[in-house]
Amino acid sequence: MKLQSPSPGRELALAWLRSALLTVLAVCIVMGVWQGLAAWFQVPVWLFPKPSDFMLRFFSDFPLLLHHALATSRTLLLGFVLGVAIAVPLALAIVSIGALERGLFPVIVFLNIMPKTVIGPILIVWFGIGPLVSVVIVFLMCFFPVLVDAMSGFRAVDPRLYYITRSMGASPSQTFWRVRLPASMTHIFAGMKIGVVKAAEGVIIAEFIASSSGLGYLIMRASGSMDMTLMFSGLIMAALVALVFNTAMSVGEAVLMPWTRRPE
Amino acid sequence: MAHNSAPTTASPTIGASIVAKGLTKVYGRGSDAFHALGPIDLDIKPGEFVSLIGPSGCGKSTTMLMVSGLEPITDGVVEVDGKPLTRPISEIGIVFQDHLLLDFRTAISNVMLQQEIRRLPRAEMKERAQALFAQLGLQGAEEKYPWQLSGGMRQRVSIARALVHDPSMLIMDEPFGALDAISRTQIRHDLEMLWLEKRKTVLFITHSIEEAVGLSDRVLVMSKSPGRIVEEIAIDLPRPRPAHLGEYPEFSVYAKRIYTIFEKLGIYKF
Repeated sequence: MKLQSPSPGRELALAWLRSALLTVLAVCIVMGVWQGLAAWFQVPVWLFPKPSDFMLRFFSDFPLLLHHALATSRTLLLGFVLGVAIAVPLALAIVSIGALERGLFPVIVFLNIMPKTVIGPILIVWFGIGPLVSVVIVFLMCFFPVLVDAMSGFRAVDPRLYYITRSMGASPSQTFWRVRLPASMTHIFAGMKIGVVKAAEGVIIAEFIASSSGLGYLIMRASGSMDMTLMFSGLIMAALVALVFNTAMSVGEAVLMPWTRRPE
Repeated sequence: MAHNSAPTTASPTIGASIVAKGLTKVYGRGSDAFHALGPIDLDIKPGEFVSLIGPSGCGKSTTMLMVSGLEPITDGVVEVDGKPLTRPISEIGIVFQDHLLLDFRTAISNVMLQQEIRRLPRAEMKERAQALFAQLGLQGAEEKYPWQLSGGMRQRVSIARALVHDPSMLIMDEPFGALDAISRTQIRHDLEMLWLEKRKTVLFITHSIEEAVGLSDRVLVMSKSPGRIVEEIAIDLPRPRPAHLGEYPEFSVYAKRIYTIFEKLGIYKF
């Protein structure tokens, strides 16, 4: 395939641009049809707003939306970083210590299948209405995928590699930082990518039930006053926040792990 | 202890001598015990190239790992350069059948792992790594990731990794086992040339009679369960040896001896 392509980078960029244009076109068509139908049948705004209604609202209330988007992002980031920072060392401990694996892992599996948002009302009793409840829920949402994938990553390292590091006289910390952790990074990143999607879901739900700021709170408040255009604008903003976090993960992966940039 | 004084310098080292007496490996205890290997004796001289050949499961790899202190010994003693082995030897290079390169490092940086972990002088080691790359026909592969290299080139990189710190011994566990026949013949020759220059002690494990005879000063033929050395054959052929070993009439004599032993052991049934 690599015979007659003068610059693969340029071709890739073109392919990317083509698919991006197609996406924009598709979105425009859907919006156009929506706009046309809503205008034709004269659907009232409080029932089902037209794209023009909520897009205008999105721009006119942009500072408000941005304020709450930033609050949501802070909660998301804090919960996510906490989740990763605890899940990865715990995964290493579980993989390294047999007793921990037998004792702790069934508990973790149980907690993993438990719907995480049900803990919300309990957290409200403990911490009151505030960002802390959301942080804890985000933490729980992304903790498990990272833990499970980090464990399989730490396990996937060929044990004969440790013969080689031992023959080099490597200390346990050298072996961990130079061999085991980087070798597990693809798995850890896979877990983080799933985790960030779940976290974006969880943060909004958490803000619905126990928050005084954030997009979830804003949308819930708008729902109380049947402010349909604000709810749709909030929905778009929430999608943008999730998109930013997902893109950050992909970019982080490409930058931190250049070796994974292999052709399909 | 001389084999593990903390930061090892990269001064030129001559090959180490390896002496083993009554080397035995038993897995498990009591009625479940499995006598895998030995007792075997080894007496490998400094700079000698010795092959262990035998059927799968005869304990060749276990022998190699015990001799380098990487696997606990059930019974017997190992002396390297006249000193009893008490912990993993560090003046050693290891090559396995799979290249076991780190896929998140480029070829050269895989080799430089030796420098980083042993904390050797960087510039000097980089020079040595580049010289090894040239000798192994790896020019231009320095900045490539393992997945961008062919199987033969990956194995060459892992040979460079095993030699860059100038160890006194090299242990190779079927290093060419996963390569195609044509690459295998070439890499055999390249390894021989490298060995002729550096004269490290090499313990080479193989299933291939051609490789064993083509490379070794001595071939030790092993039997199975428990693994024992049943015959020792000194290979007296001029070096460097040719691609087509059949040029030497003695080659078929040596090969015939090994085939005969394998038939006697019941490994081959023709």
